[in-house]
Amino acid sequence: MEEIRIGVYICWCGTNIAKMVDVEDVARELSEMPDVVIAKDYKYMCSDPGQDLIIKDIKKHNLNRIVVSACSPRIHELTFRRTLENAGLNPYMFQMANIREQVSWVHDDRIKATKKAKALVAAAINRIKWHESLDKRTVSINPSTLVIGGGIAGITAALELADTGSQVFLVEKERKLGGNMAKIDLTFPYLNSAQQIINEKIDRIEHHPNIRIFRNTVIDEIFGYIGNFNSTIGQNGTEAELKFGNIIVATGLKSFDPSGIKNYGYGKLPDVITSLEFEQMLLNGKILTKEGKEPANVAIIHCVGSRNSDEHEYCSRTCCMSALKYANQLRSAIPEVNIYQAYADMRAFGKGCEELYCSTSRKDVMFLMFDQQKDLPVIMEAKADDSCKMVIEMNEKLSGERIEIPADLVILMVGLEAQDDAKELARSVGISMCGNSFFMEKHPKLDPVATTTSGVYVVGNCQAPKEIPDAISQAKAATARIMATIKQGEVEVEVITAEVNEDICCGCKTCIQVCPYTAITFDENNSVSVVNEAICKGCGTCGSACPTGAIRSRHFTDNQILSQIKGLMSKSLELNEL
Amino acid sequence: MTYEPTIIAFLCNWCSYTGADLAGTSRMKYASNINIIRVMCSGRIEPMFVLSAFREGADGVLICGCHPGDCHYHEGNYKCLRRFHLLQKYLTQMGLNEERMRLEWISASEGKQFAELADDFTEKIRSLGPCKLKETAETLT
Repeated sequence: MEEIRIGVYICWCGTNIAKMVDVEDVARELSEMPDVVIAKDYKYMCSDPGQDLIIKDIKKHNLNRIVVSACSPRIHELTFRRTLENAGLNPYMFQMANIREQVSWVHDDRIKATKKAKALVAAAINRIKWHESLDKRTVSINPSTLVIGGGIAGITAALELADTGSQVFLVEKERKLGGNMAKIDLTFPYLNSAQQIINEKIDRIEHHPNIRIFRNTVIDEIFGYIGNFNSTIGQNGTEAELKFGNIIVATGLKSFDPSGIKNYGYGKLPDVITSLEFEQMLLNGKILTKEGKEPANVAIIHCVGSRNSDEHEYCSRTCCMSALKYANQLRSAIPEVNIYQAYADMRAFGKGCEELYCSTSRKDVMFLMFDQQKDLPVIMEAKADDSCKMVIEMNEKLSGERIEIPADLVILMVGLEAQDDAKELARSVGISMCGNSFFMEKHPKLDPVATTTSGVYVVGNCQAPKEIPDAISQAKAATARIMATIKQGEVEVEVITAEVNEDICCGCKTCIQVCPYTAITFDENNSVSVVNEAICKGCGTCGSACPTGAIRSRHFTDNQILSQIKGLMSKSLELNEL
Repeated sequence: MTYEPTIIAFLCNWCSYTGADLAGTSRMKYASNINIIRVMCSGRIEPMFVLSAFREGADGVLICGCHPGDCHYHEGNYKCLRRFHLLQKYLTQMGLNEERMRLEWISASEGKQFAELADDFTEKIRSLGPCKLKETAETLT
């Protein structure tokens, strides 16, 4: 067996790690462990000079295993695997110790943090001795793509892909395409017609030779893996068997239902409407109260269902600007109308938005601030002798005064929330959800449209509330990623699959029962289990169920994990003794 | 010197490890006694891993997986749960307090819950005192 020669690198991550972990001490101490040839610390291991340091050392010291102790492997494991490849080593001769997310950022005692970092690195060093070269595995890419959701994000993605000549299957839950954008009149901040934009796109996808649209259709279950997914889609009583290589999830969000907020009387007071209902009014071309009269006073209440611990704590991002848009539309439709904006905090970020705020505030619009956390305005019917239909009582925060606002029409700026079937969808495509039932991206900064499931992307509102340009940007980003894999024709996938040692397999079929993917079949001739590596996703459940130890979970073998435990404990206990 | 327990935590890659990472990115503070070992799925956690941790001197073992129904591999966490209950009985028979091993579901968004769990479990193990399994095993062999 070849001599084990390990290089260990401790990252400072600027001050992120170095301020809480004595990185030099960690490097010094770990350099004394058996088989460690060299141990160094450096400012930023992931930077080009940091990676070059590893490559040079591999060549100079003939290293054959590398441990990097830095951030989470979820962020840079692939980066360093590529570094090893560049130096001519097998990428799996690498192990990461997470001393940022799981040490320096969560502990506040430098001595204890340094001790723990040493134990984690020792664990990685002990583990890597059992690492083995694993061959790359590639799978071919079916050039078709499934797009789930026919709103602006899904439509954009479908068109981008279809225009390159690839087949797209677009699945829409409702009968109509266009999603939320088809339900609004104008867009902010430039007050362009939403209908004009979306209808042109709908028209294009409906007549695109490369796009097949499934309306009134819900995805039930998807099988397969990146490059080779399949699903049976039922439509109008017939079933279609679709095969596709990538999936774009663009299922959007729905409007918050304000019936539960007592103060606002939605559902009881006829002229309290949601922003979505007001959009319908604008699309119909008439702003009227239920009695069919033009309102003399219109109040717009912000943050309905948003930024409040009783409903949703997040900001829905689009409502403030929509509310300003309404003020402009009201002013031009009914020049004499009194417009009141009851807001919590005006959020006018983004291109052209602060400008919209400034220009709107010059149009004789009254801005009144309330406390969104503790003190919501109360909408009530006006007295018979009042000149308006409703009165809104609120504590105006800036003046500190209790005021009454007259209103004939109240528009509730309802926030956005997850679709009712978000959880089922996440399950059927195999992606995770973060708080608030938004779909989770692979990394919030470094990989914002991919997911932890290869070949599945999340774009638009379903990932988090956002404006139309952001949704479109995400859609285009995801299609660029997909087109790259289509052009390559194949993609590398993880090789951490299971394998059966046929010599010690006793043929009990336990592994076949526990496999969630039917990736294991039984070879009747030899009475042994056989793993189909194309289907196996490497969860390792079979490995831990196998009574004879015949199944190895590659890269998470018994020896690797047991050595990791041993390395961790012995260093930990050794340091406890001191 | 005050007794500082050593705890090994086995976390599944998709939910719990990500949850622990979130505790980090959110700069939540928790006890440094928790040492995390990553596995792809809680279904991969063999009884041998837990026993080996105690044998090597761990005072407590924490196992975290995705919430029921949310497993990245469909149902690995259920298999983990089944094994956990059997293993609990086994630990008791060995003379170990079954509370030295805990199974909890931590989703990718539950950084706060993970930090609280880490503190809570550390305090529990601290109150139980050092696990003597390693010592006993060494005397016997």
